[in-house]
Amino acid sequence: MTSDPLPGRAGSPTGSFYAMSDDEEGEYDTITHTETGRGVKLLYSKSKVYIHPSPSAKDNIPGFVALLQQKRPRGERPSSSSSTTSNSPIASDLLLAWLPESSLGDAASIYVKVDLTDGDSPPKQSFLVPPPPTVTTHRGSVGAYSFAIPVSAIYSLLVRPPSLGWWFGSVVINTRVGDSFPALFFHDSECQSTILQKKKRARDSFDPFGEGGQMFWGGDEVLRWLKRYVRIEKSAAEPNIYLVEPSKEDSEAFGSKATTSTPSKIGRRDSSQGVSVGGAAGASPAGPSGRNDAGMDPVTKFVKETGWNLMEKFSKVTTFTRRTAQDLIENPKMPPQVRRLMINPEVQTIQDEFDSARIYLARWAMGIAEQSERDRNQRIWTARDVLELEDTDVGEFELLETSSMSLDEKRKPVNLKEWKSFFDPQTGRLTMTIDEVKERILHGGLDPDDGVRKEAWLFLLGVHDWYSTAEERKAQLASARDEYVRLKASWWERLVDHGGEGEEGEWWREQKARIEKDVHRTDRTVPIFAGEDLPHPDPDSPFSSFGTNVHMEQMKDMLLTYNEYNKDLGYVQGMSDLLAPIYAVMQDDAIAFWGFQHFMDRMERNFLRDQSGMRNQLLTLDHLVQFMDPKLYAHLQAADSTNFFFFFRMLLVWYKREFKWMDVLHLWEVLWTDYLSSSFHLFIALAILEKHRDVIMTHLQHFDEVLKYVNELSTTMDLDSTLIRAEALFRRFHRLIEAIDKKQNFPAPRVRTSSPSSAEKSKSSPPQKDSGKAAEQPKMVISPELRKLLSRQVDVLPRKVVQKKGDGLAAEARR
Amino acid sequence: MSGNRNYDFLIKLLLIGDSGVGKSCCLLRFSEDSFTPSFITTIGIDFKIRTIELDGKRVKLQIWDTAGQERFRTITTAYYRGAMGILLVYDVTDQRSFENIRTWFANVEQHATEGVNKILIGNKCDWEEKRVVSTEQGEALARELNIPFLEVSAKSNINIDKAFYNLAADIKKRIIDTSKNEPAASSGVNVSQGEGSGGLGKCC
Repeated sequence: MTSDPLPGRAGSPTGSFYAMSDDEEGEYDTITHTETGRGVKLLYSKSKVYIHPSPSAKDNIPGFVALLQQKRPRGERPSSSSSTTSNSPIASDLLLAWLPESSLGDAASIYVKVDLTDGDSPPKQSFLVPPPPTVTTHRGSVGAYSFAIPVSAIYSLLVRPPSLGWWFGSVVINTRVGDSFPALFFHDSECQSTILQKKKRARDSFDPFGEGGQMFWGGDEVLRWLKRYVRIEKSAAEPNIYLVEPSKEDSEAFGSKATTSTPSKIGRRDSSQGVSVGGAAGASPAGPSGRNDAGMDPVTKFVKETGWNLMEKFSKVTTFTRRTAQDLIENPKMPPQVRRLMINPEVQTIQDEFDSARIYLARWAMGIAEQSERDRNQRIWTARDVLELEDTDVGEFELLETSSMSLDEKRKPVNLKEWKSFFDPQTGRLTMTIDEVKERILHGGLDPDDGVRKEAWLFLLGVHDWYSTAEERKAQLASARDEYVRLKASWWERLVDHGGEGEEGEWWREQKARIEKDVHRTDRTVPIFAGEDLPHPDPDSPFSSFGTNVHMEQMKDMLLTYNEYNKDLGYVQGMSDLLAPIYAVMQDDAIAFWGFQHFMDRMERNFLRDQSGMRNQLLTLDHLVQFMDPKLYAHLQAADSTNFFFFFRMLLVWYKREFKWMDVLHLWEVLWTDYLSSSFHLFIALAILEKHRDVIMTHLQHFDEVLKYVNELSTTMDLDSTLIRAEALFRRFHRLIEAIDKKQNFPAPRVRTSSPSSAEKSKSSPPQKDSGKAAEQPKMVISPELRKLLSRQVDVLPRKVVQKKGDGLAAEARR
Repeated sequence: MSGNRNYDFLIKLLLIGDSGVGKSCCLLRFSEDSFTPSFITTIGIDFKIRTIELDGKRVKLQIWDTAGQERFRTITTAYYRGAMGILLVYDVTDQRSFENIRTWFANVEQHATEGVNKILIGNKCDWEEKRVVSTEQGEALARELNIPFLEVSAKSNINIDKAFYNLAADIKKRIIDTSKNEPAASSGVNVSQGEGSGGLGKCC
């Protein structure tokens, strides 16, 4: 039997194509339709199945995979006495099709609807769609990859479930003629029906496994559809090949009973070997031919049968370090099924009681997603990517403003050459506006390798005046060096008598010991701080047996000098984290010291004894999340997490512990621009929350879970996408505030002024859950905290405040 | 949920003591049986989990680790109140850290739940040539404070398990074994709420 390509009818479909008949399944009759070329019955469809024509994700074409039933030409219609009834079509009636979204036109809504109907059986209603052009080989297909092939013309399917190597599962159709269609990639995370089916499985049966014991995914569905109508046999020779209605010989050669075979033959059959196209098709009666799970390998079987046991074992995973866990995943001896099990987020839903493991698994899943995001973004971020970022409740991200430069150019790091071009070659004075330079750095960052940071950071930190001349800067650096030496000398004197008598001496010795301890625990994995090639100068130091190196000694000197320079505050843990990158970039203690000193001007508030600076920032973050994402906020509230303590570390040292070293350098130079807001670091926090909001809302119910999850994000996050997200969030925030202001400035029936008391609302009385009644009269109040987020002015604490709350030497003396 | 938890009781512990005495190292040794000499400073707060068996019951220990520097005490004291047991850690090679134990103890008395179990821990006991606080001094202080005492070494894995097990056993004795007749109390004490009941996260 040859396939019956319906005569081309690409013409614009008329409305009647889409009329849904209310016929019951059995009464379905399309004779009139087929005769007039009016449509085929859509049995199943699945959305977000992509063809990847090139390695670049931007070329991916989204579409639907569908199983369609066409009507046989009248002559071939089996008589009513035939065993085949009209509602169980045979293979040649069925078309397996892939259609790009763009080609569907008005029929798209029907595809979507069928996609979302419960997939256990074909929809009761008959959904008719325009028949796609039918082919029996890939060569015969035309146009933008779309095709529809009679199931009888399919020889086998190469089914690759998602795995570490293949982020998206895929299905390749091999035809009986011997060629293959392009791989269809199932983007399960975008496909509503797959998401729903996964959830349903987990809910109904605690069985997230698909047929064959692996994790359920979109491709399983396609096999399931086919198995309803035709015989599918798993190849014993090649694990991922499924034979469609195999002939006896094929079955014996390659099927589940096969003992010897040449695997290469099955995947892509040589057309010369041709089984006649009509051969196997149609002959066997339709109907599900018994699920074939013979192919389930022993490990999978084990996992499936002992799932609960295994889960318990996994809960022990909580006692592993991240490294161990990573090793475990990467361990080649680990069966892929187990690995998949560990990284597949679906696992969590069946093992809620293993709460900690759940968080780990969720994190792993997210980590893999991060990795794939990174992999896909080896190319430069574009505006399109921004649009492609997943939707969140804060709404669609929109295109960043475009200027004369394209976004690609904007995202290119500023290198030394470009940096020099900003300045007048004679005077060395900046020839652009400060904002122009800052905008470039905001979007592109600075070249990490060519030394531009060493110069540019001094401007960003405020050591250099932006409009100074080269001459002035030279003089300034010279005097800065002198000044550093002078400051350093002030504590050298103390060395003689170990700080001297009394409280001041006590305080100094304590600070010195603290700095000593902390420097030996700061960024020791970064090459310049790693070595221990110098004997320790102080035999009494707890580190005297380890040795030190010149950079660590410089770090100690700079911190002791700062301790002396800012006696009101003194050295506080965390400061060594803030100094290390600056020193590593400058590699000049005097210059690094002044860079650090300027940085500390804005960071001082983080280190006050009463923690008021940290509290204010956490409070602002609280307002921001509440304002931008009330749903997430409500969840955090229910999880007792609106104290936002889990952002404490991030805010204290500006994500130093959260991103990798090189990323921290990039992030800080972006934050130092203060181009959008001097509190842009809070939008970074919001971006991180938004990125993980689904995991948080689905899986994390308690403060400790949220804290653990967020703490463990450390060094797993992708910076580039975080920055883009943060900027998009800022712009949205800005627009929202503007919109509200505009509204309030217009004479409205009721003008409400924001109550000042809301500003004073302390952390101890966050908006209560039970104040839900207030929601009945929506009241948009912009707190001063929020409004301040629009300011680009850096907050520097008045000296008086530092003196009072600094807890440095002065406070020591008061005690 | 199916109520089929992998533990019978949940106990929350807290590690406090001066910066650099080895709180995180003790915790790492206990929870992951590993040790890293060049550790990083703890910023903010974190916890680790280990489930142990006590008298045939599975007891899940959630152990909170805090930053040691006094400056962060306003943050860390918020965590005192949910804790059922507190490990006061000093460094036997650091006289000051030993002296500061009294301050830490006073802090506990002030902020923690009444009757909370405590244990005094002298870390780095493997480091004899650097030792400045003798075992006797440690014992004397423990007697004075009326709490148990152990010298441990996270590096050499001496007494670490014992310290946590002993404390957990004391807590179990105090709370679980004495409140058997009471109906199951709140399940899970939420540290952030600082629920002062001292109740035990008893499940099933």
